[in-house]
Amino acid sequence: MRRMSAAWVLDEDDALELLAYLVTAARTQVDEAAEYGPMRLLTAAHRLAEKIDSRSSDGTGALVDGPLRRMPLLAVPRDDRDGYVARLDEVCRSVAELLVARYASASATTGPV
Amino acid sequence: MTDPVLAAIRSRRVVRAMTEEPVGRDTVEAVLDAGRWAPTAGNRHLQRFVATVDPGTLRVLRMVSPGMIQRPTAAVTICVDRASAEAYGFRPDAPGLSVDVGTAAATMLLAAHALGVGAGPVSSFSRAAVGVVLALPAGWVPELIVCLGHPEAVQPPALNPRRALGWQDLTTWVPAE
Repeated sequence: MRRMSAAWVLDEDDALELLAYLVTAARTQVDEAAEYGPMRLLTAAHRLAEKIDSRSSDGTGALVDGPLRRMPLLAVPRDDRDGYVARLDEVCRSVAELLVARYASASATTGPV
Repeated sequence: MTDPVLAAIRSRRVVRAMTEEPVGRDTVEAVLDAGRWAPTAGNRHLQRFVATVDPGTLRVLRMVSPGMIQRPTAAVTICVDRASAEAYGFRPDAPGLSVDVGTAAATMLLAAHALGVGAGPVSSFSRAAVGVVLALPAGWVPELIVCLGHPEAVQPPALNPRRALGWQDLTTWVPAE
Protein backbone atom coordinates (compact mmCIF):
# COMPACT_ATOMS: atom_id res chain seq x y z
CA MET A 1 0.00 0.00 0.00
CA ARG A 2 1.53 3.28 -1.10
CA ARG A 3 1.49 6.38 1.06
CA MET A 4 -0.64 9.45 0.43
CA SER A 5 0.38 11.64 -2.50
CA ALA A 6 1.80 14.39 -0.28
CA ALA A 7 4.36 12.06 1.29
CA TRP A 8 8.06 12.58 0.77
CA VAL A 9 9.23 10.04 -1.78
CA LEU A 10 12.97 10.75 -1.62
CA ASP A 11 15.21 10.92 1.40
CA GLU A 12 18.41 12.96 1.45
CA ASP A 13 20.60 10.01 0.44
CA ASP A 14 18.39 9.24 -2.56
CA ALA A 15 18.32 12.87 -3.63
CA LEU A 16 22.06 13.29 -3.21
CA GLU A 17 22.74 10.23 -5.33
CA LEU A 18 20.55 11.59 -8.10
CA LEU A 19 22.12 15.03 -7.82
CA ALA A 20 25.59 13.48 -8.17
CA TYR A 21 24.45 11.56 -11.23
CA LEU A 22 23.01 14.66 -12.90
CA VAL A 23 26.02 16.87 -12.22
CA THR A 24 28.57 14.31 -13.37
CA ALA A 25 26.46 13.38 -16.40
CA ALA A 26 26.46 17.03 -17.44
CA ARG A 27 30.24 16.92 -17.43
CA THR A 28 30.64 13.56 -19.15
CA GLN A 29 28.15 14.52 -21.85
CA VAL A 30 30.52 17.26 -23.01
CA ASP A 31 32.84 14.53 -24.29
CA GLU A 32 30.38 11.75 -25.10
CA ALA A 33 28.52 10.88 -28.26
CA ALA A 34 25.43 13.03 -28.66
CA GLU A 35 23.24 9.92 -28.90
CA TYR A 36 24.04 9.24 -25.24
CA GLY A 37 22.26 12.44 -24.18
CA PRO A 38 18.72 11.02 -24.04
CA MET A 39 20.03 7.74 -22.64
CA ARG A 40 21.67 9.49 -19.70
CA LEU A 41 18.50 11.46 -18.97
CA LEU A 42 16.44 8.29 -19.12
CA THR A 43 18.87 6.56 -16.80
CA ALA A 44 18.32 9.40 -14.35
CA ALA A 45 14.56 8.93 -14.75
CA HIS A 46 14.91 5.19 -14.18
CA ARG A 47 16.99 5.77 -11.05
CA LEU A 48 14.51 8.32 -9.73
CA ALA A 49 11.65 5.94 -10.47
CA GLU A 50 13.43 3.14 -8.65
CA LYS A 51 13.82 5.33 -5.59
CA ILE A 52 10.27 6.68 -5.45
CA ASP A 53 8.31 3.63 -6.59
CA SER A 54 7.58 2.12 -3.19
CA ARG A 55 6.73 5.47 -1.58
CA SER A 56 4.75 7.20 -4.30
CA SER A 57 1.01 7.47 -4.94
CA ASP A 58 -0.80 4.86 -6.97
CA GLY A 59 -0.86 7.07 -10.06
CA THR A 60 2.83 7.83 -9.98
CA GLY A 61 3.57 4.21 -9.18
CA ALA A 62 1.61 3.09 -12.21
CA LEU A 63 3.63 5.44 -14.39
CA VAL A 64 7.02 4.27 -13.20
CA ASP A 65 5.95 0.63 -13.20
CA GLY A 66 4.53 0.85 -16.70
CA PRO A 67 5.58 3.08 -19.58
CA LEU A 68 8.84 4.24 -18.02
CA ARG A 69 9.96 0.76 -17.05
CA ARG A 70 9.19 -0.47 -20.56
CA MET A 71 11.63 2.08 -22.02
CA PRO A 72 14.86 0.10 -22.43
CA LEU A 73 17.62 1.31 -20.13
CA LEU A 74 20.31 1.35 -22.81
CA ALA A 75 18.28 2.43 -25.83
CA VAL A 76 19.74 5.06 -28.13
CA PRO A 77 18.25 6.69 -31.24
CA ARG A 78 20.69 4.99 -33.61
CA ASP A 79 19.15 2.62 -36.13
CA ASP A 80 15.45 2.96 -35.36
CA ARG A 81 15.05 6.63 -34.67
CA ASP A 82 11.32 6.63 -35.41
CA GLY A 83 10.69 3.69 -33.08
CA TYR A 84 12.80 5.30 -30.40
CA VAL A 85 10.92 8.56 -30.67
CA ALA A 86 7.59 6.73 -30.62
CA ARG A 87 8.51 4.94 -27.40
CA LEU A 88 9.68 8.17 -25.81
CA ASP A 89 6.47 9.90 -26.91
CA GLU A 90 4.48 7.11 -25.26
CA VAL A 91 6.27 7.79 -21.99
CA CYS A 92 5.76 11.54 -22.40
CA ARG A 93 2.04 11.05 -23.02
CA SER A 94 1.78 8.89 -19.93
CA VAL A 95 3.54 11.55 -17.86
CA ALA A 96 1.18 14.20 -19.23
CA GLU A 97 -1.89 12.06 -18.47
CA LEU A 98 -0.74 11.65 -14.89
CA LEU A 99 -0.06 15.38 -14.54
CA VAL A 100 -3.48 16.29 -15.93
CA ALA A 101 -5.24 13.81 -13.68
CA ARG A 102 -3.30 15.01 -10.68
CA TYR A 103 -3.30 18.77 -11.18
CA ALA A 104 -5.66 19.87 -13.92
CA SER A 105 -8.48 17.42 -14.36
CA ALA A 106 -11.11 19.74 -12.88
CA SER A 107 -10.29 22.69 -15.14
CA ALA A 108 -9.04 21.00 -18.31
CA THR A 109 -11.05 21.89 -21.37
CA THR A 110 -10.56 21.34 -25.07
CA GLY A 111 -11.68 23.80 -27.67
CA PRO A 112 -10.73 26.73 -29.86
CA VAL A 113 -8.75 29.52 -28.27
CA MET B 1 36.74 -23.82 -31.50
CA THR B 2 39.02 -25.59 -29.03
CA ASP B 3 41.67 -23.02 -28.21
CA PRO B 4 40.72 -21.68 -24.76
CA VAL B 5 42.03 -18.17 -25.42
CA LEU B 6 40.09 -17.80 -28.64
CA ALA B 7 37.04 -19.35 -27.01
CA ALA B 8 37.26 -16.84 -24.15
CA ILE B 9 37.55 -13.95 -26.61
CA ARG B 10 34.42 -15.12 -28.41
CA SER B 11 32.33 -15.82 -25.31
CA ARG B 12 33.14 -12.75 -23.19
CA ARG B 13 30.33 -10.24 -22.79
CA VAL B 14 30.02 -6.89 -21.03
CA VAL B 15 28.14 -7.50 -17.78
CA ARG B 16 25.79 -4.67 -16.81
CA ALA B 17 23.81 -6.38 -14.05
CA MET B 18 25.68 -7.86 -11.09
CA THR B 19 24.59 -9.63 -7.89
CA GLU B 20 25.53 -8.52 -4.39
CA GLU B 21 27.86 -11.51 -3.96
CA PRO B 22 31.34 -10.16 -3.23
CA VAL B 23 34.26 -10.77 -5.54
CA GLY B 24 37.15 -12.23 -3.59
CA ARG B 25 40.29 -10.21 -3.08
CA ASP B 26 42.32 -13.04 -4.64
CA THR B 27 40.21 -12.82 -7.79
CA VAL B 28 40.76 -9.07 -8.03
CA GLU B 29 44.48 -9.61 -7.59
CA ALA B 30 44.48 -12.18 -10.39
CA VAL B 31 42.76 -9.64 -12.66
CA LEU B 32 45.35 -7.01 -11.69
CA ASP B 33 48.16 -9.44 -12.42
CA ALA B 34 46.73 -10.03 -15.89
CA GLY B 35 46.57 -6.27 -16.44
CA ARG B 36 50.20 -5.96 -15.55
CA TRP B 37 51.03 -8.35 -18.44
CA ALA B 38 49.16 -6.30 -21.03
CA PRO B 39 51.45 -4.83 -23.68
CA THR B 40 52.46 -1.20 -23.25
CA ALA B 41 54.23 1.07 -25.71
CA GLY B 42 57.95 1.06 -25.10
CA ASN B 43 57.34 -1.29 -22.16
CA ARG B 44 56.94 1.92 -20.14
CA HIS B 45 53.99 0.86 -17.95
CA LEU B 46 52.59 4.34 -17.41
CA GLN B 47 49.22 2.96 -16.34
CA ARG B 48 48.36 2.77 -12.66
CA PHE B 49 45.65 0.50 -11.27
CA VAL B 50 43.52 1.60 -8.31
CA ALA B 51 41.53 -1.31 -6.89
CA THR B 52 38.72 -1.37 -4.36
CA VAL B 53 36.29 -3.87 -2.87
CA ASP B 54 35.06 -1.40 -0.24
CA PRO B 55 31.26 -1.07 -0.48
CA GLY B 56 31.23 2.59 0.52
CA THR B 57 33.87 3.57 -2.02
CA LEU B 58 32.09 1.56 -4.71
CA ARG B 59 28.78 3.25 -3.91
CA VAL B 60 30.26 6.72 -4.23
CA LEU B 61 32.22 5.74 -7.33
CA ARG B 62 28.95 4.73 -8.98
CA MET B 63 27.29 7.99 -7.94
CA VAL B 64 29.81 10.01 -9.96
CA SER B 65 29.91 7.59 -12.90
CA PRO B 66 26.84 8.00 -15.11
CA GLY B 67 28.01 5.14 -17.34
CA MET B 68 28.12 2.67 -14.45
CA ILE B 69 24.84 0.85 -14.99
CA GLN B 70 25.92 -2.15 -12.93
CA ARG B 71 26.52 -2.26 -9.18
CA PRO B 72 29.98 -3.82 -8.98
CA THR B 73 31.35 -5.46 -5.85
CA ALA B 74 34.89 -4.67 -6.96
CA ALA B 75 36.43 -2.18 -9.36
CA VAL B 76 39.77 -1.41 -10.89
CA THR B 77 40.27 2.14 -12.09
CA ILE B 78 42.96 2.41 -14.74
CA CYS B 79 44.80 5.71 -14.52
CA VAL B 80 47.56 7.29 -16.55
CA ASP B 81 50.51 8.59 -14.60
CA ARG B 82 50.81 11.87 -16.48
CA ALA B 83 53.79 13.04 -14.51
CA SER B 84 55.80 9.97 -15.46
CA ALA B 85 54.56 10.27 -19.04
CA GLU B 86 55.79 13.84 -19.19
CA ALA B 87 59.20 12.67 -18.03
CA TYR B 88 59.31 10.43 -21.13
CA GLY B 89 58.49 13.44 -23.30
CA PHE B 90 54.79 12.79 -23.88
CA ARG B 91 52.58 15.80 -24.46
CA PRO B 92 49.49 15.95 -22.19
CA ASP B 93 47.22 15.08 -25.13
CA ALA B 94 49.37 12.26 -26.55
CA PRO B 95 46.94 9.56 -27.80
CA GLY B 96 49.27 6.61 -27.25
CA LEU B 97 48.70 6.63 -23.53
CA SER B 98 45.01 5.91 -24.03
CA VAL B 99 45.85 2.96 -26.27
CA ASP B 100 47.70 1.35 -23.40
CA VAL B 101 44.70 1.93 -21.14
CA GLY B 102 42.62 0.02 -23.68
CA THR B 103 44.97 -2.94 -23.87
CA ALA B 104 45.12 -3.17 -20.08
CA ALA B 105 41.34 -3.01 -19.87
CA ALA B 106 40.81 -5.65 -22.57
CA THR B 107 43.25 -7.96 -20.83
CA MET B 108 41.50 -7.50 -17.48
CA LEU B 109 38.07 -8.14 -19.02
CA LEU B 110 39.32 -11.41 -20.48
CA ALA B 111 41.03 -12.37 -17.24
CA ALA B 112 37.83 -11.79 -15.29
CA HIS B 113 35.94 -13.91 -17.78
CA ALA B 114 38.50 -16.68 -17.43
CA LEU B 115 38.12 -16.51 -13.65
CA GLY B 116 34.34 -16.84 -13.87
CA VAL B 117 33.61 -13.25 -12.89
CA GLY B 118 31.61 -10.73 -14.86
CA ALA B 119 33.23 -7.48 -15.93
CA GLY B 120 32.26 -4.30 -17.68
CA PRO B 121 34.26 -1.24 -18.71
CA VAL B 122 33.03 2.24 -17.82
CA SER B 123 34.50 5.38 -19.34
CA SER B 124 31.63 7.75 -18.58
CA PHE B 125 32.55 9.29 -15.25
CA SER B 126 33.73 12.60 -13.92
CA ARG B 127 37.53 12.45 -13.89
CA ALA B 128 37.60 15.25 -11.36
CA ALA B 129 35.15 13.53 -9.01
CA VAL B 130 36.76 10.10 -9.31
CA GLY B 131 40.10 11.68 -8.48
CA VAL B 132 38.59 12.87 -5.20
CA VAL B 133 36.74 9.62 -4.44
CA LEU B 134 39.88 7.52 -4.92
CA ALA B 135 42.25 10.12 -3.42
CA LEU B 136 44.44 9.86 -6.49
CA PRO B 137 47.95 11.29 -6.31
CA ALA B 138 48.64 14.44 -8.31
CA GLY B 139 49.29 13.57 -11.95
CA TRP B 140 47.24 10.37 -11.97
CA VAL B 141 44.32 10.76 -14.38
CA PRO B 142 41.55 8.12 -14.22
CA GLU B 143 40.70 6.94 -17.73
CA LEU B 144 38.61 3.78 -17.40
CA ILE B 145 36.93 1.73 -14.67
CA VAL B 146 36.74 -2.05 -14.94
CA CYS B 147 33.70 -3.12 -12.91
CA LEU B 148 33.81 -6.63 -11.46
CA GLY B 149 30.98 -8.72 -10.06
CA HIS B 150 29.01 -11.90 -10.40
CA PRO B 151 26.58 -11.66 -13.32
CA GLU B 152 22.84 -11.53 -12.77
CA ALA B 153 20.94 -14.20 -14.67
CA VAL B 154 19.12 -11.56 -16.73
CA GLN B 155 21.13 -8.80 -18.38
CA PRO B 156 19.86 -5.55 -19.92
CA PRO B 157 19.65 -5.74 -23.70
CA ALA B 158 22.80 -4.62 -25.48
CA LEU B 159 22.96 -1.11 -26.92
CA ASN B 160 22.56 -2.43 -30.43
CA PRO B 161 21.37 -6.04 -30.16
CA ARG B 162 20.38 -6.41 -33.79
CA ARG B 163 23.80 -5.67 -35.20
CA ALA B 164 25.77 -8.81 -36.00
CA LEU B 165 29.13 -7.68 -37.24
CA GLY B 166 31.66 -10.01 -38.74
CA TRP B 167 35.31 -9.23 -39.06
CA GLN B 168 34.70 -8.74 -42.77
CA ASP B 169 32.49 -5.74 -41.97
CA LEU B 170 35.41 -4.10 -40.21
CA THR B 171 38.22 -5.00 -42.58
CA THR B 172 39.60 -3.70 -45.86
CA TRP B 173 42.29 -5.67 -47.68
CA VAL B 174 45.12 -3.85 -49.41
CA PRO B 175 45.50 -4.20 -52.29
CA ALA B 176 41.74 -4.49 -52.84
CA GLU B 177 40.50 -7.96 -53.81
